[in-house]
Amino acid sequence: MAYHNQYRPPHYNSAPPDQGFLWNIFQRVDKDRSGAISDTELQQALSNGTWTPFNPVTVRSIISMFDRENKGGVNFNEFAGVWKYITDWQNIFRTYDRDNSGFIDKNELKQALTGFGYRLSDQFYNTLIEKFDRQKRGQVAFDDFIQCCIVLQRLTDVFRRYDTDQDGWIQVSYEQYLSMVFNVV
Amino acid sequence: MSYSYGQGYPGPGGNAPRHHPPPGAPYGGGPAGGQYGSPYGGAPPGQQYGGGAPYGSYGQPGPRAPYGGGQAPGGPYGGYGQPQGGPYSQQGPAGNIPPGVNPEAYQWFCTVDSDRSGYINAKELKQALMNSNNSAFNDETCMMMLNMFDKTKTGRVDVFGFSALWMFLQQWRAVFQQFDRDRSGSINSNEMHQALSQMGYNLSPQFIQELVNRYSMRGGNGVLQLDRFIQVCTQLQSMTQAFREKDTAMTGNVRMNYEDFLSGAITRLM
Repeated sequence: MAYHNQYRPPHYNSAPPDQGFLWNIFQRVDKDRSGAISDTELQQALSNGTWTPFNPVTVRSIISMFDRENKGGVNFNEFAGVWKYITDWQNIFRTYDRDNSGFIDKNELKQALTGFGYRLSDQFYNTLIEKFDRQKRGQVAFDDFIQCCIVLQRLTDVFRRYDTDQDGWIQVSYEQYLSMVFNVV
Repeated sequence: MSYSYGQGYPGPGGNAPRHHPPPGAPYGGGPAGGQYGSPYGGAPPGQQYGGGAPYGSYGQPGPRAPYGGGQAPGGPYGGYGQPQGGPYSQQGPAGNIPPGVNPEAYQWFCTVDSDRSGYINAKELKQALMNSNNSAFNDETCMMMLNMFDKTKTGRVDVFGFSALWMFLQQWRAVFQQFDRDRSGSINSNEMHQALSQMGYNLSPQFIQELVNRYSMRGGNGVLQLDRFIQVCTQLQSMTQAFREKDTAMTGNVRMNYEDFLSGAITRLM
């Protein structure tokens, strides 16, 4: 099942890191030596570059993407995927955060998402910034940027499933609509 | 030429409409007054809310109903991790309570605001709230509630925002207890079905089952704790509102374009 491939950051393919290197990191992050990295452990290990805790909702999204048995964490094999996923996003984020501020503003977000193939109105970018700017700075930090992209992608995927004739419009019933949005919450 | 949204994501799986419910799903045909039961859900049942939409729309601070502070604290569920000292250990003169702030909420606030900043942030809130199985409230629900009552848009609530949040919690807790018929401390999908029906939602048992499964995934026993119950009910309320805004003719079907769909979902998602 290629479920998590779907959530791979677009247009990026970094080389897989060395296993020994990853194993070292895994052991350091797995503080309780349980053999699996939990939400809390991953959150503590991640930095969004701004000295504030990494968005716990993003952490949950990432873990659930790679946690195949639904055990609430990732084992070493799955962690390799997590590592690559986050590194790829980091590389993307850096390309758009040109001043290395740790944040991307509306224009940078627009460039990024346009680069991924989205065609969205200017007004919609205001909505995105407002919603995903957890630190209330009018810009989006790394962790919130990932969350923004995940949500956008899931919504797009579910929309596409209903938009069978690909005209950008759907017609749905109440319960269908709820299923669509609850699938991505 | 087909409409292009997010072409950058060549997700496998293609366009197969896997999630379409079967045609003629058991939706509609509800009681008189439109397809989803006239009131569209929204309000939890129960006299104590004094009718009308008790929570107002999403993001409105505080319940509107007078609520009257009659709620006995504690109760069979042991509460959500009452701060130490319990609600009755009045420390400090009652005269300190700002006007309009529920006295019990004020006690909580003082205990929960451990760094005395005058605000409660997501972390402090999470530490203060517990489900009846002693699990901590999940992050999504904490952030959702914080956003609802955070008038300053700074990711935290002051004592007034907290008072409203606290009353919101108490109300949902009362609803939760009312529908937890077997007194298990959690809501199973049968109980959820009854709860949502009484709130006026007309949803198929399959949908409700899926909803409960989805939100009980972690810990996995097919039941909702209080935090998930609040999250599901609040989001259902909010997404129903989103649908209703589009369904101006009250047909139970809407037609919407890609960006409308995204906006509707994203502005209301937490």
